[in-house]
Amino acid sequence: MILIKLAYKSLLNRRGSAFLTLFTIAISVMLLLSIERVRVDAKSSFSNTISGTDLIVGARTGDIQLLLSSVFRIGHTNNGVSWQSYQYIKQQRGVAWTIPLSLGDSHKGHAVLGTNTDYFSHYKYGKKQTLAFSEGTAFSHLNEVVIGSEIAISLGYALGDEIIISHGMGNTSFHHHDDNPFTVIGILNATGTPVDKTLHVPLAAIELMHGVGHSEHEHEHEHEHEHEQHENLTGEPKQITAFLMGFDSPLYTLQVRRNINQYKPEALLAIMPGVTLRELWEMLSIVEKILLLFSSIVVLVSLLGMLTTLLASLSQRRRELAILRSVGARPWHLFSLISIESLLITLLGCILGCGLFYGLMSVAAGFLQSHAGISITIAMLSDYELGLISAIMAAGFIVGLIPATRAYFYSLADGMSIKI
Amino acid sequence: MINIHRLSFKWHTQQTIPTLTIPSLVIEPGEHVFLHGPSGCGKSTLLSLLAGINKPSSGSLCVLNTNLAHLSNRKRDAFRSDHIGYIFQNFNLLPYLSPLENVMLGCQFSKSRQQKALQQSSSLEQEAARLLSALGLTTEHHQQSVANLSIGQQQRVAAARAFIGSPELIIADEPTSALDANNRSAFIELLFAQANIAGSTLVFVSHDESLQTLFNRSISLMDITEQAV
Repeated sequence: MILIKLAYKSLLNRRGSAFLTLFTIAISVMLLLSIERVRVDAKSSFSNTISGTDLIVGARTGDIQLLLSSVFRIGHTNNGVSWQSYQYIKQQRGVAWTIPLSLGDSHKGHAVLGTNTDYFSHYKYGKKQTLAFSEGTAFSHLNEVVIGSEIAISLGYALGDEIIISHGMGNTSFHHHDDNPFTVIGILNATGTPVDKTLHVPLAAIELMHGVGHSEHEHEHEHEHEHEQHENLTGEPKQITAFLMGFDSPLYTLQVRRNINQYKPEALLAIMPGVTLRELWEMLSIVEKILLLFSSIVVLVSLLGMLTTLLASLSQRRRELAILRSVGARPWHLFSLISIESLLITLLGCILGCGLFYGLMSVAAGFLQSHAGISITIAMLSDYELGLISAIMAAGFIVGLIPATRAYFYSLADGMSIKI
Repeated sequence: MINIHRLSFKWHTQQTIPTLTIPSLVIEPGEHVFLHGPSGCGKSTLLSLLAGINKPSSGSLCVLNTNLAHLSNRKRDAFRSDHIGYIFQNFNLLPYLSPLENVMLGCQFSKSRQQKALQQSSSLEQEAARLLSALGLTTEHHQQSVANLSIGQQQRVAAARAFIGSPELIIADEPTSALDANNRSAFIELLFAQANIAGSTLVFVSHDESLQTLFNRSISLMDITEQAV
């Protein structure tokens, strides 16, 4: 007990350097915890991008490429799925629902997705949550658009605004479909997925813009029968980019997938989004590991800083060690004293680091949600994080053994003669 | 109290000539002994042996009828904390403890000294305060920072730390070298008074032979050691 008191008072006496050391450890702990929390949450946000969809079907290409283009709106698929094939596969046994997707147009650099109203009822993300409207409703006319939350915020759109869709991707598209303005009819809630950055228009509208679909539009919409609406809004395009499928029972998934992959009339590819998401994340795991490596190095550097401070102070404290020896402290008492000091610094550093971590997370959570689509959980420290902190404590203790050992040998060599 | 017989000490076992050789030295309980000698004659070495920091290479060194030459490192550390109070030349105090805490430190590593201190006062803190007051440090100084005390006051705190728990032997290693002449004799008088009250034997080391007259016994280390020729 006396040793803990001595260690505490001694540190307090050197509070300037002790606090700086403690603070660097706190910063490194904060950094490590933050990076790990964001990484874990990014992973779960990522794997929650799409859920409840059993298969994604598109033209034959790579699994990851199909996932990227259909779910993340990254890259293009050169080919599509012909309408006939879609219609055929749709009628397979066990198919509960399908959502056609048509991509390729953009609005100010944001993807425009042609689809039907099934999208709003069957598309699921996160823990099988369906899309919800913060304002307005799903489209029911060909010239209506439903926009993601981020589009609404970043471009400042409100219900009733008119927007022009461009052909192709990117801001610099030459061809604007200015003869077909769309009216914002609905704004979706934030999901933390690419849906937030997407503009949704009726599938038939895409064809209409390109002048290849049949030009049937402006019909009776007072009709409440949903199926009727679908017919109208879906149209009969030549081909679509991809489509999502849900089955009555997951048992159908593998069989239908095989049938699609072996479908003779057209080269098609069906992927299970969960599996492919995992593959994609594995590809990114090197980045994860580098992040973990760097934050671990930061922790290590901060502990080495503590080592430097303790060692530097030790040579000034040989008198203190001699006095303690004179009142009967044994060499291992002095060893423990220095060990306790390093443990105290590491412990307080970890506690302060956790405080800073929660501070940072509560400030950054909103930013990360809106800019990176990562929803941060401000919860208690997970077992994994507690494990990290224990590892830091253990490392701090081990590092502290070096000056402690030196104090031990100083006290043996110096005895009570005071050498400065 | 102290009984030295054919003691010799070498820093290294390979050393051919011992650093210190004392054929015989006896100090009776309650004596106030002035031990003097020029620098380098082995005063510090003898003190480190008396305090049990170092162990005699041969011969016997009995303190309180315990032969320190036969004790393990651990037991000598325990012996020191139980039976010896040590006063350094200067900078005696831990800067991060108050004078009161510095005094209490004297018995933190020894159960028996704690018990003896508690026989005097109801708590260690009270005993420390009593000793500080007895050594002329007024209560207003008891809690203030050690750095704000004069050297003379610091040495009184150091003396109080040596006396707490009434150890049988007090070793003072040139405690007055940083003090002026008036303070010096006043400090030594206080040491005597406390040593008499506690019944402690006092071994006072200095190279300043003018202090010798204050003591009832004076030993020149040059006379009692066998000098290697």
